[in-house]
Amino acid sequence: MNRERFIRQRRADWQQLETLLTGMKNRRLSRWSGSDVTRLSGLYRSVCYDLSLVQSREWGARLEQYLNDLVAQGHNCLYRSPPRSIDTALKFLSHGFPQLLRKRKNFFFVSLALFAVPFLIAMIIATNDPVVAEQIIDKTQMEQAGESYSKDLYKDIDANYAEERTFMTGFYVWNNVGIAFRCFALGAFFGAGTVVTLLFNGIMLGAVCGYIINQGFSDNFFSFAISHGSFELTAIVISGAAGLLLGWGMIHPGELSRRESLRVHGIDAIKLASGAGAMLVIAALIEGYFSPMALPHSVKYVVGTMMWGLVFVYLVQGGRNASGTETTADGHRHEVSTAHSAEDSE
Amino acid sequence: MPDTLKVDTRVTVETPEGVDFQFMIAGPGKRGMSFIVDIMLKLGIIAACLLILSMMSALSFQVSGVGGGIFLVTWFAMSWLYGSCFEAFWNGQTPGKKYQNLRVVRTNGTPIGWFEAFGRNLLIVADGMLVLGPLALNTVGLLSMASTRRMQRLGDLVFDTMVIDEAREFISRAAGITHGVERLRRSECNGQFHVPERTLAVVERLFEGDRLISDGRREEIARTLSLALRSRLDFVEPGPDPLNPNTYFVQTPLKHTTFLKRVLKTFSDSPNGRAAQTEDDGDDASLEIIDETLHSMNVSDSGPESPADAGPAESAEGATLVTGADWQQPASGDGSTS
Repeated sequence: MNRERFIRQRRADWQQLETLLTGMKNRRLSRWSGSDVTRLSGLYRSVCYDLSLVQSREWGARLEQYLNDLVAQGHNCLYRSPPRSIDTALKFLSHGFPQLLRKRKNFFFVSLALFAVPFLIAMIIATNDPVVAEQIIDKTQMEQAGESYSKDLYKDIDANYAEERTFMTGFYVWNNVGIAFRCFALGAFFGAGTVVTLLFNGIMLGAVCGYIINQGFSDNFFSFAISHGSFELTAIVISGAAGLLLGWGMIHPGELSRRESLRVHGIDAIKLASGAGAMLVIAALIEGYFSPMALPHSVKYVVGTMMWGLVFVYLVQGGRNASGTETTADGHRHEVSTAHSAEDSE
Repeated sequence: MPDTLKVDTRVTVETPEGVDFQFMIAGPGKRGMSFIVDIMLKLGIIAACLLILSMMSALSFQVSGVGGGIFLVTWFAMSWLYGSCFEAFWNGQTPGKKYQNLRVVRTNGTPIGWFEAFGRNLLIVADGMLVLGPLALNTVGLLSMASTRRMQRLGDLVFDTMVIDEAREFISRAAGITHGVERLRRSECNGQFHVPERTLAVVERLFEGDRLISDGRREEIARTLSLALRSRLDFVEPGPDPLNPNTYFVQTPLKHTTFLKRVLKTFSDSPNGRAAQTEDDGDDASLEIIDETLHSMNVSDSGPESPADAGPAESAEGATLVTGADWQQPASGDGSTS
């Protein structure tokens, strides 16, 4: 076949594919009709063949470029990431996230140690000697914190309460989720950024905690903190685990190539981080509206303990009762999809 | 081919159909531009939010706390979720990327998923780190882009994505050929302002880099076609520039080559690319070898209409332009038709 005859014969198909593509790209996936998809896949395959023919015969750069472009557009139209919905997001939070955390539990425990040990040390030191605490944290800041817990926060639930607490909820989302995401992202420096963030936050929180205990406001403080602390502290540790996982993928690829290892660990890490983000939003809501309520301390302790139990059960049992086989099948599928994302996208 | 050193920014992707095709990787310039556009948009949205809320709180005193909360959540969403949500729902594009014709895809060419979109946008924190002081914005990301073949920043490396340039560049190869020449202006041509696709293909192949023709020989070949095209377009060669007459004489030895380059640049740039061109005429002349082609070729006129009416009417209309008379024409080639 010579070039001219080839072009003359095939041009109609190319134009057809082109119009089909421009039409389909602007339409939602659910609006695609069956016949269009059939036509698209048929035309796309034939243009793929045309492209390889032109490539092998070197029939001109412009023709090749044009067909290349058509194939690229068709490829992007046909091969997509699997459709995701609210349903998949909820399924992830209820099943995938706790499963994944259990799979990567070593990172969770390391992260926990990096956070809790400096926390406890700083707390013990600050409880016994507030002067040391003042060296760690600015004195006025410390006094402010102490003052805010020296009295009951609110007497009644009124308009003022709703207003102030909504503002604070917004603040908690902005601040805490931001810290968690940053803690994760800094893991990209071989995990160093995450380690620093965890240690830093552990020491700061421990020092504040110890100072408040030293000042004798511990009852006010712990009754306030126990409810949302369940979600909040766990989520910070999980985001730390995500950052460490990312760093580990860089430091220790194991049997994978470093590229492959980064990818496998990176996807797991971002999943952990997004789960932690969701937990922090829940924590912000509790901290905003429930924690400062004018309730007896005993009620808050009971509810707070229940929250801790809830978090524990969620992370330990979540996704497990959906029959053991499904869990492993899902886990296996996940392995495969990260290893060959081309298949995943089909 | 995969083993040769590539100095351009193309990445070859193999489809499941077993065909290789190429993506153009976007460089820091375009990506930086889209980054700036996105930042402006984010700031605009935050400012709009602030404005609306302050107007509302001016009307009724009560909402100020709630408004503050909404403002902080908006700020949070803009700083952390903006990029990921757009890239997840708009198939790898943010408004800034759309403006610059960029798209985020996986390195195997498939579109990205939610988690990749989210992850690569969170890692902007790491990419945006200042390493060398306040002026060195995005140092980490730039260093990473400079050292990877696909120009990936850290976020791209971890989540196996790349940013491609989707600008329709049918002429990207012709742009290499036609670099440094101007388009033909409408006012320079008195005839019809149209060149058939087939002629352009021949011109293009004349300039293809792998054909090792010396400039002199190319000029010789180009002359034939150039003269025909000149009379067809009724091209009026501009005389020497009175201010700088030397350039005229410097360019004269490659006059026809330059003219063909200009023709190629002018007529191959149509936004729809090749598809908008006319269909070929019925002549089955072999175009395998360029010299033969150029000597035997009919530069015929076929309109952009459907193939149905391109038959007999066209052969009557199409004139054989390569004639002996053309060879005798003066070098300036002013407006005589054949």
